[in-house]
Amino acid sequence: MGERDGIPISIDELNKLKAIAERARRNVIKMQFYDHSIHVGSSLSSIEILTTLIFRYIRDAQEKINKDWLILSKGHAAPALYAVLHEKGLIKEEELWKIQAIDGILQGHPEVYIPGVDMSTGSLGQGLSFGIGVATGVKMAKGNGRVFVMMGDGEQDEGEVWEAATHAIARNLDNLIAFIEINGYQLDAKTSEVKPKDFLPEVYKAIGWRTFSCDGHDILSIINAIEEALKARKPAIIFAKTLRGKGFTPIENTKMQRASPDVARQFLLNT
Amino acid sequence: MLQGSFYSIREAFGRTLTKLGEEDKDIVVITADVGDSTRALYFREKFPDRYFNVGISEQDMVNFAAGLAAVGKKPVVADFAMFTMRAWEQIRNTSGRMRLNVKFTVTHSGYSDSGDGSSHQALEDIALMRTIPNFKVVVPADAAEVERSLPVIINEQGPIYYRMGREYSPSITAGMDYKFEIGKAYVLKDGDDLAIMGAGVVLWDALKAAEELEKMGISTAVINVPTIKPMDENTIEYYARKTGRIVTVEEHTIYGGVGSAIAEVVVQKYPVSMRFVGSTTFGRSARSERELLDYYGINAENIIKKALELMK
Repeated sequence: MGERDGIPISIDELNKLKAIAERARRNVIKMQFYDHSIHVGSSLSSIEILTTLIFRYIRDAQEKINKDWLILSKGHAAPALYAVLHEKGLIKEEELWKIQAIDGILQGHPEVYIPGVDMSTGSLGQGLSFGIGVATGVKMAKGNGRVFVMMGDGEQDEGEVWEAATHAIARNLDNLIAFIEINGYQLDAKTSEVKPKDFLPEVYKAIGWRTFSCDGHDILSIINAIEEALKARKPAIIFAKTLRGKGFTPIENTKMQRASPDVARQFLLNT
Repeated sequence: MLQGSFYSIREAFGRTLTKLGEEDKDIVVITADVGDSTRALYFREKFPDRYFNVGISEQDMVNFAAGLAAVGKKPVVADFAMFTMRAWEQIRNTSGRMRLNVKFTVTHSGYSDSGDGSSHQALEDIALMRTIPNFKVVVPADAAEVERSLPVIINEQGPIYYRMGREYSPSITAGMDYKFEIGKAYVLKDGDDLAIMGAGVVLWDALKAAEELEKMGISTAVINVPTIKPMDENTIEYYARKTGRIVTVEEHTIYGGVGSAIAEVVVQKYPVSMRFVGSTTFGRSARSERELLDYYGINAENIIKKALELMK
């Protein structure tokens, strides 16, 4: 089986990506041994999407206009990004365990001086505007870089996202693909309890985006959505259904960001 | 020196920017629907492909500009000072933190948007912007200094906040011959007993006050400090030592603004007595910027009053 069979990825590659995602997941869970304050739940919901993007789509290049850009607008998922960048060989293993340590390079939220990080983020709602700037600059210079922006569902509360959503359409950017992860939680409560989010796909569609959806933990589903989005010839947005804390059962699909180190240790030993 | 043209400061900005656009194809201009008011529209007339109106959305404007800078463009944000501050956190967290090459060239600062009243009068922006690491802050004195300094600003690497008013621009530097450098203060008038230091159009009042003080037998220096950050510490220290008394003047709150920045230097290099002339309240509507400057005591009369306090 493979691309000739209409499946856009071979079983071998799919299994490879799954294995990478699983290692990254375990490393994120392990990172909380070293710093208990990292956002484990939000990170685990992003693992498969980041793995798929970084290992299958993001093309590197010397010139800024010909490389692909990955903007983690939901910056608190930084541990997931670092764990996947470690799999890519850009971040050393010992750095993972020094996350948020004063003598480490890995900050609580992404900073551009960390290898593989394209935008310093952390304050929600800011990534899409930046991505529009990059995508516009790339097109002006006739480069072939593409821009991938990862947002959360809680992040959609920010007014700047609305400003950017209409802006991307005004610029008619076909080299911009955004993700909104729908994990159903924001910091204090369920997204549904804070502000409504169900309307989002309809609203993005009404504004003029090409909208797609996927299971954000199923790599094949993610790939299918990205392949469609790449053909959209318009700003494209992928609504990825995810579970906060996916794969880490003590906190999976809850508001909890982390478990106690003992619980985490036990979990890693038993799985 | 106190006479001369009242050439609009925003006109000088729009025309100079457009001229720079001819020489440097990487310059792109971004505005939040105030292209006409800032005169950035002149740039659009010549270079429509390098001009972006993002609509009434300052936060998006700021990070969009940052994205353009990240791929090598030279974005010049043209906006009102007040509404640029709406996106202060975006400015800090993206352009500042990533040290991106974005120029925030703002108009309508101080009381210059006289009619619109306190909602539009940015009197806190210098204080806000000079606290951001990696940022430089420049306040030209008049239209002539805009023409002189804008090319230098645009060609300087890294983020800069460049603060202008609207129309009002009494001639302060027009007759002078100097090369503008970031981080340098300029002596408008030398003197021994007292130094008036400040930035922006209110230096006209400083010169007027100095004239009056001279008549009273007080030898008064007037120093133009267009770069608020990094500050020309040598010139400030030199005049602190030479005169022993400093009055600062600014079209901005005295809390954290130009006077505060000068005081930070003075107190560490050579402490002398100081007085501050500037705003302490929100503004209000009036028919002209000049009326407001007089109403709030940011004028020659008040500078003289503070100077005489120091001479006692």
